[in-house]
Amino acid sequence: MLFEDAPCGYVILTPEGRITHANRTLARWVGAPQGELAGKHLRDLLTLPGRIFYETNFGPALSLQGELEEVALDLATGPSERLPVLISARALRDAEDRHIGTRLILVRAAERRNYERDLQGREAEAIQRLNDEKSTAELREQFIAVLGHDLRNPLASIVGATRLLRRETTSDKSLRVLDMMETSVDRMADLIDDVMDFARGRLGSGISVQRRSASLEPVLRQVVTELEVAQPSRTFVCDLALTEPVSFDEGRIGQLVSNLLGNAVAHGDPRSPIGVSASTADGRLTLSVSNRGEPIPPAAMERLFQPFFRGEVRDSRQGLGLGLHIASEIARAHGGEITVRSDPTETRFTLNMPCR
Amino acid sequence: MQHLGWNKALRGRRDDLTAIKRHNVRVGGRGAAPMMFAHGFGCDQNMWRFVAPAFENDFQTVLFDFVGAGGSSLDAYDPERHSQLSGYAEDVIDIIEELGLTGVVFVGHSVSAMIGVLAALRRPELFSRLVLVGPSPRYVDDDGYVGGFTAAQIEELLAFLGENPMAWSRAMAPTIMGNPDRPELGRELTDSFCRMDPEIARAFARVTFTADNRDDLRRVSHPTLILQCSDDIIAPLAVGEFLRDQIAGSRLVVLKATGHCPNLSAPEEVVEAIRGFV
Repeated sequence: MLFEDAPCGYVILTPEGRITHANRTLARWVGAPQGELAGKHLRDLLTLPGRIFYETNFGPALSLQGELEEVALDLATGPSERLPVLISARALRDAEDRHIGTRLILVRAAERRNYERDLQGREAEAIQRLNDEKSTAELREQFIAVLGHDLRNPLASIVGATRLLRRETTSDKSLRVLDMMETSVDRMADLIDDVMDFARGRLGSGISVQRRSASLEPVLRQVVTELEVAQPSRTFVCDLALTEPVSFDEGRIGQLVSNLLGNAVAHGDPRSPIGVSASTADGRLTLSVSNRGEPIPPAAMERLFQPFFRGEVRDSRQGLGLGLHIASEIARAHGGEITVRSDPTETRFTLNMPCR
Repeated sequence: MQHLGWNKALRGRRDDLTAIKRHNVRVGGRGAAPMMFAHGFGCDQNMWRFVAPAFENDFQTVLFDFVGAGGSSLDAYDPERHSQLSGYAEDVIDIIEELGLTGVVFVGHSVSAMIGVLAALRRPELFSRLVLVGPSPRYVDDDGYVGGFTAAQIEELLAFLGENPMAWSRAMAPTIMGNPDRPELGRELTDSFCRMDPEIARAFARVTFTADNRDDLRRVSHPTLILQCSDDIIAPLAVGEFLRDQIAGSRLVVLKATGHCPNLSAPEEVVEAIRGFV
């Protein structure tokens, strides 16, 4: 019969929760002869927590509305044995919509209960590990900030010392050595600046910027000129159409463009020009740096803006891999973002931000 | 209504909300004297839907949800404040003060009966009478005291709740409420009946079932009516009698109703008993 040997326990209850019919399956689970179950109250089949829950919650809901879904409880199947079940119930109503009884099914849920318990355990572990990772990461970043800061002092001494020596020296060779030292010191200063920017960005709420309304064009041309001097073999083509005023942090935007240009120089085809274009429309600034050459591999695309990510670089002098990350943080601090498109025809990094 | 993850910061938003908003307070009735209904563990103000309306002619009825239940604001849950019943009593006082009430007849079911007692002890001038439905000052047996449960049984309950957040889940589908006594009201869709945020439910269960407020009973000075059900495993008769003996001048009425929620299973009896008292 459908009812008797259903793959679930099946009971019919009075509106007050007393069993009028219980099927064979339930009788088997509970370990009682079927005849014994009729007349018993449903809550008598439950463990103590279930009985409490029945009295405070599930029973009132059942009596009022005669409907419940997926209530997780334990059947008492022996003096200390229990069977986890899921219970669903539906009201039986007469022609006047009065509640005259309840159909209730019980489905075994031991496996599901174990699974849930496992999941809970694993979630707790994962959360613990996440918290541990977070504290470690914070410590690491604090260390970086302190280190960067402390490195600046000895560096400043070296700068001072080279200036002093330069005034006193006359030999050509010494002057060339001093030039080399200054170049290296500059590079170190840049690296430390990048590291400090990174640390500030991670520990604080991003890179801070001071926006002022100023003319963007001279700033862009200045940055391009600097690179032309540093890379005389490369060609830079500017296409600027800035019609609206822009409020921006000169130093930071200069740094952003310089980082993008540096990337184009390092990764682009050395025989093709590097393009810089900027335009304003509808209160937004669009600024992009483009180069020809091998497209960025798809795997790298996902991680481009992550800190310390470095692609293949021909130049033997490598940076820390912070340039794009810092550029994207600068974009973010201006309320904008940097996007990238790369295919065999060209690679283009575009900054899009509000003008004010 | 979303599930409130335990790992999110739970504090800090209380101050943005008034007590009325925090507790989904509903005021009704045409009378002047205030009567406040407090729900028990595991449910919400809908528990009073067959009792409160009977008093609307003569009283101003106030219904609310404790934090974590019904339509209350989950942001208002404070693990520290709500680690004791006195914290819940403070919530009750907040609501009464915000409504500008005094001389409240407080009708509390189950654990909220004790919450009412604590509130009345703290601010006696705000209350005039107490009606305690299925109350218990302590659920765990003690030397010479029958609470109804052993400590092991309470631990079993709390462990069960810990393992089965689903048992108390808010994820239940909208439920259809029947009104067997007032079929003219038809059936309404309500999505908040008898559901508590699982994390808060677990914490509230611990607070409720491990509380011991026996010593507070002697200090109660308001006229008190105790309504006791005939076959209530959560508040057995011995507990009702204990309360009557401890609260001076209190009256104990044993209802014919069985189970723990006479406000739902035998509302007329409850209404009768309260009417005879106010």
